[in-house]
Amino acid sequence: MIHYRWNFAPVWDNLDVLAVGALGTLQLFAICAALGLSLGLFVGWVRYSGSKLPSLLAISFIEFFRNTPVLVQILWFYYALPLLINVDIKPMMAAILGISLNSAAFSAEIYRGGIQSIEKGQWEGAKALGMTLSQALRRVVFPQAFRRMLPALTNRMIEIFKMTTLASAVAYVELLQQGKLLSSLNFNPIETYTVVAIVFFLCLLPLVQATYFLERRLGRSDQ
Amino acid sequence: MHVWNFQPVWAHADLLVLGLANTLKVTAAALFFGMPLGLTLALMRLSQAKVFKWPSSLVIEVFRTTPPLVQLFWFFFALPILVNVEMTPYIAAVLTFSIQSAAFFAEVFRAGIESVEKGQREAGQALGMKPAQVMTRVVLPQAIKRMIPAFLERAIELMKTTTLVATVSYADLLFQTNEVAQKTFRPLEVFTVTALIYFSVIFVASKIVNHLEHKFAITGEGTVR
Repeated sequence: MIHYRWNFAPVWDNLDVLAVGALGTLQLFAICAALGLSLGLFVGWVRYSGSKLPSLLAISFIEFFRNTPVLVQILWFYYALPLLINVDIKPMMAAILGISLNSAAFSAEIYRGGIQSIEKGQWEGAKALGMTLSQALRRVVFPQAFRRMLPALTNRMIEIFKMTTLASAVAYVELLQQGKLLSSLNFNPIETYTVVAIVFFLCLLPLVQATYFLERRLGRSDQ
Repeated sequence: MHVWNFQPVWAHADLLVLGLANTLKVTAAALFFGMPLGLTLALMRLSQAKVFKWPSSLVIEVFRTTPPLVQLFWFFFALPILVNVEMTPYIAAVLTFSIQSAAFFAEVFRAGIESVEKGQREAGQALGMKPAQVMTRVVLPQAIKRMIPAFLERAIELMKTTTLVATVSYADLLFQTNEVAQKTFRPLEVFTVTALIYFSVIFVASKIVNHLEHKFAITGEGTVR
């Protein structure tokens, strides 16, 4: 039936090409995870700051970025934004903008869910001790909420890692993009894409296992 | 300052409509195959026999742990050489997204099935039902109701993910957008219109899901994730 002779030699001989891509993937992941998760905290905070207009803007931001595909966002930043503001946008910049803003919108909702899950009594207790609202949030509510958010935040990081592959659509040099290049040079898509898939799998496996572990552990200790 | 001009976009609205139809087509096909496949994977994973349990766990973990675009490229560029068949972007997309959503659905099915109290199975058995009957007549009808919001949420995710097919030249909404942008030299307008089209469809769909979740929460039936 299947008479394909697998030959990984051309892939091993060009591992440096894939390594360059892997570095690009890790770089993009680190920037987008840091920007996305911290910007999400800010957006979530603005949403609940109490002032009407900023909170309305935050809600629109969250809804818009959650309800459009991230690839459309990346391509919009790459092809459309430069015309609007008359600045040249590099592939990496477009990918960072699309993935970070998308992740900010999703993580803002995670922070909100975490903080809202903390009982009212905790706020009241902190207030009774003479803490201001922001002290109560920082010292009492957030540390407890953070534990509950941890599985969802880890999950978001997994999604961000997967999203970095979309940067290949604007020709940013990442692992999948380098795989594409290599497979068309060597005419060996099977071996190349299989290796690329395995590398992604091995990178993501620890994160996925961490989520399972956190869900089990926090689910048990935190009723 | 950019002068907005939507006229060229309206002139090619038919291409965008065709793209949207293709997006919905791929989404529907992936759901159609993904649902039963997901149930099969879930039942295999829940079974005691290792010959069923292990392969299904492997498929579920591999498809949940690799980026969808890598999967699509593998199915589109690698698989046809491996099995020596003709591959079209549409078939590659339906294959990838069916198996990928099946892997996610399998976990929803599993959570749903496990959420049904043990007493329900025991009662079914006490009435003399066979295990398969207990599953189809007692457990699944209760489980599926709790899974509906999680399914719909996944379907929305799936629709967003289908944009990836544009990278293998399937004429979905995003691919058509690119075509129109090149024809009209109006990428700003076209990409903005497309973003708004996706937003309206997905926003309405997710509001419906929220409403359902809320409704199930009120009636006390609960939902699973």
